[in-house]
Amino acid sequence: MIEFINVTKHYPGRHHVLREVNLHLHKGEMALLTGPSGAGKSTLLKLLLRLEDVSRGTLMVNGIDVSTLGRRHIPAYRRRIGVVFQDHKLLMDRDVFSNVALTLQVGGLTGRQIQSRVRAALEKVGLGDRAQDLPAVLSGGEQQRVGIARAIVHTPEILLADEPTGNLDNSLSTEILDLFRDFHHHGATVLVATHDQSQVNRLGLPVFHLEQGRLHTPEEDKA
Amino acid sequence: MNLHIRLEAAKNALNTLIKQPVATLMTVLALAIVLALPVGLFAALNNLQQLLGHWRDQAQISLFLHQGASAAEVQNLQALLERSTGVVSVRYVGKEAALTEFEHHAGMTAAIQTLGENPLPASFVVELNPLAQSPSALQTLVASWGQQPGVASAQSDLRWVARLQAILALGKRAVWILAGLLAVGAILVMGNTIRLHISQRRDEIDVASLVGATRAFIRRPFLYQGLFQGAVAGMIAWIIVAITVTVLQGPVERLAELYGTRFHLLGLNSGQGLILVAASALLGWLGSRLAVGRHLDHTFS
Ligand SMILES: Nc1ncnc2c1ncn2[C@@H]1O[C@H](COP(=O)(O)OP(=O)(O)OP(=O)(O)O)[C@@H](O)[C@H]1O
Ligand SMILES: [Mg+2]
Repeated sequence: MIEFINVTKHYPGRHHVLREVNLHLHKGEMALLTGPSGAGKSTLLKLLLRLEDVSRGTLMVNGIDVSTLGRRHIPAYRRRIGVVFQDHKLLMDRDVFSNVALTLQVGGLTGRQIQSRVRAALEKVGLGDRAQDLPAVLSGGEQQRVGIARAIVHTPEILLADEPTGNLDNSLSTEILDLFRDFHHHGATVLVATHDQSQVNRLGLPVFHLEQGRLHTPEEDKA
Repeated sequence: MNLHIRLEAAKNALNTLIKQPVATLMTVLALAIVLALPVGLFAALNNLQQLLGHWRDQAQISLFLHQGASAAEVQNLQALLERSTGVVSVRYVGKEAALTEFEHHAGMTAAIQTLGENPLPASFVVELNPLAQSPSALQTLVASWGQQPGVASAQSDLRWVARLQAILALGKRAVWILAGLLAVGAILVMGNTIRLHISQRRDEIDVASLVGATRAFIRRPFLYQGLFQGAVAGMIAWIIVAITVTVLQGPVERLAELYGTRFHLLGLNSGQGLILVAASALLGWLGSRLAVGRHLDHTFS
């Protein structure tokens, strides 16, 4: 359950990037976040990860008040979330396996548990045979799938993605978004920021549309 | 906290160090040299103290007895002297023995014989370790002996002992100050090295933080790097001091022979060596703690 209640965000010395945003996403739901460049999509996801602080309002995630969460509790909170970035943020000097394993090491798992879970996650994204490769030798779509494996390897309750298909062609985008939908079918709450209109149409999922920091909810659109 | 997490961090730290052997070696050698200097000076002071201990027979005190001192007084005095702090030996020189010694040394048999009677008093010759107590305590002790029944006078020259102790104290303090300064230097060297490691691994730190790494998790490999490098530097400093002592041993022994004595240079014993390694590891840890505090924590703000 993700709940933005009158959330406002402004960066220091700038006018508001998000204004009075109200967003409700129930546990196990999947939704898309759309809007033009600069609308505040990445900012909204950063608030969810507590990479940025809420300026005003309340942000609840699975019963946790993220807006007031103490610094000490942020790491444990982040470990309950999986994130995929547009620029994938892979470590280029580590092989695929180590990149994915990082999420589990951070969570304190032992070597054997890490082995089997990373293998399973790589199988799931179709990279079972690329564990020893460096990210540099992978294609853009493959790199993005490594990022997804890293985001789901610890089976998080919530999966966030910031334009995961930004620079991929249409068939690859379909493949990636289907991976997210698959994960959603297994019970996770999923929120994906995208400006890929063809995918929005194809998936037929609820859409939150941001425009100049204001959010238009699916209900409003229907009304 | 699980052991395997610490082991993982230790492995990570070792890997990082081994992957950059030249940089690691330079840091460790710089630290070792910085540490070897004060440790070498401490060893030198120790040796000086030991050498001066060899000359303790110069701290010789003569207690001249009254002509009429009773046998009981003499016995009590001997017992008292033997019990006192820093006393190495007590020798009783009777009147006849004193006369024999005097004749032997001065060759004045004829002059003495004209006196008819033996004028020399009996005495106790006390050898003291001058470094066993402070100069003032020593003065007090000798003065109190002078007050004992049966003692006519005490003769001593303890001024050189006071000077010697003052010089040693000065040397020790100077070495402590130097050691303190160099310890700060060692911390800064390590801090700077770890700062470089942190900036090299910025991406890794950021990603780890994104996937929920705690501050402790991110810090730990860097702290271990400091700890390991410090420990190795301590071992190398120990080796440097040991080699220096070995190289100087021959010349020092020949010099001692010229002065008609024997002298063996001391290095660090294993207890001192282990303290050096531990202290050095601690300095490395402190240095990286400093860098981590300054350059890592803003990731979490
Ligand atoms: N750290 C920051 N400091 C100041 N301004 C920022 C910061 N991050 C983002 N902004 C501004 O906030 C606004 C929203 O940015 P955001 O990245 O959330 O947009 P977006 O919807 O993700 O855009 P895009 O589709 O291009 O990724 C932009 O005007 C941006 O310049
Ligand atoms: Mg964005």
